[in-house]
Amino acid sequence: MNTSVRNILRFILIISLQVLILNKINLRWWSQPNGFPVFVPYVYPLFILLLPFEAPVWLLLVIGFATGITMDSFSNTAGLHAFATVLIAYLRTNVLNALMPKNLSEYPNQTPSVKNMGWVPFLVYSSFLILVHHIAYFTIEVWSLANIGYLLLKIFASAITSILFIIVYVLLFTRQNTYRG
Amino acid sequence: MRNFLLFIRRFFNLILFIVLETISIVLIARTNTMQGNDVMSSANTAVGLMYKQQNDVVYYFGLKRMNDNLLNENARLRQLIAANSSTYDTLKDSTVKRPLVSSDSLHVIKYADYYYRTARVINNSVSAANNYITINRGSADGVGKGMAVISGNGIVGKVEHVSAHFSSILSVLSVKQKVSVHLKDGSTSVVEWDGTRPDVLVMKDVPQQIKVYRGDSVFTTTYSFYPPDVLVGTVYATSSVKKSGLQLLYLRPASNFRNLQYVYVVENKLSAERKQLEDSIKTK
Repeated sequence: MNTSVRNILRFILIISLQVLILNKINLRWWSQPNGFPVFVPYVYPLFILLLPFEAPVWLLLVIGFATGITMDSFSNTAGLHAFATVLIAYLRTNVLNALMPKNLSEYPNQTPSVKNMGWVPFLVYSSFLILVHHIAYFTIEVWSLANIGYLLLKIFASAITSILFIIVYVLLFTRQNTYRG
Repeated sequence: MRNFLLFIRRFFNLILFIVLETISIVLIARTNTMQGNDVMSSANTAVGLMYKQQNDVVYYFGLKRMNDNLLNENARLRQLIAANSSTYDTLKDSTVKRPLVSSDSLHVIKYADYYYRTARVINNSVSAANNYITINRGSADGVGKGMAVISGNGIVGKVEHVSAHFSSILSVLSVKQKVSVHLKDGSTSVVEWDGTRPDVLVMKDVPQQIKVYRGDSVFTTTYSFYPPDVLVGTVYATSSVKKSGLQLLYLRPASNFRNLQYVYVVENKLSAERKQLEDSIKTK
């Protein structure tokens, strides 16, 4: 399948997963939370994480902005998701360069995945960017450090859940034997 | 000029990054002044249609609860009718006390004229700092910006974005919206949300000498854009602030924001006139 078609399909899949299911379920880590925040895991940055290796930074930024604005129109947060997503789209290339043994241009037609990165680098890559995304998002959303414990609790609860969902996604959508472009 | 072009080419990614982040920040700043744009909101037709499709699927799971809510509301309204049309025992007391009804329409002072529209909630959130609700009624059905939204149990929020067939409502669970309320004895104050738990509202600046008990009800006032005497919530805890001699009340909101199903959009036909008058005083 063509790379752009594959990515458009993945965009539709991930955004609908986020908007129609995850945004509706307000998670809590235990049943009777005394002051524990109600939170939503944000899995849609996974779309940015799974774009091909050799995608130029300007394209990543534009795609990141478009993804963020799409999420913003669904959740009435004009600009919040866009800000966080553009931030991770910008950092993505640097993180990948630091983690990969070879130059990024030497992986033609490949996307970051467990198969060609290994579990540990892939998890470091995705959890770092997800954490950056969540810190940026929730800090701007709450926009006060008056209740910093609450803010940190919300960031980490949401980030850990998002990473769990990403692991599930990767386990579900990685084909075992065939080559995956 | 050549150097300038080289500079742009060298730092193109960084410049694009900064431009996009600035656009995002400008968008965020604009919504915080309560004047958001309608295109990028869930009132937008494409988004609204998608939410409607989703709601059509999950709608049936809430029917039982919705029936119970409607029954409760009917019971309350019937009680209200019964209280207003009580029959008088004329044998016992010959001077019948009847409510004063002025038949002369010139003497009736009308300060509000409410019109209720029903709407179905098709999207809802409680976890953000400013929570929005999307409903399936828009300007084609007469919904306009700034109208009050209540549920069968209590207040819900204010219409903020409107498209032809959908509108999005800023819920009471929002750090940028305050509601003017009064207690049973008539002392007024303001209720706001602290942005943490969706089942706690905070009522500030209630004088210490006013005795408040657990379970006391809190209602909207005539000052706000809500219709008066709609239930906001019930007190479940109080705490006193030593420094100012005031007390802080914690309320359980009357409407359950986690599972809103149907709401009423309340239009006050005289609110535009009232607002114009109040604004003309402010500008002087």
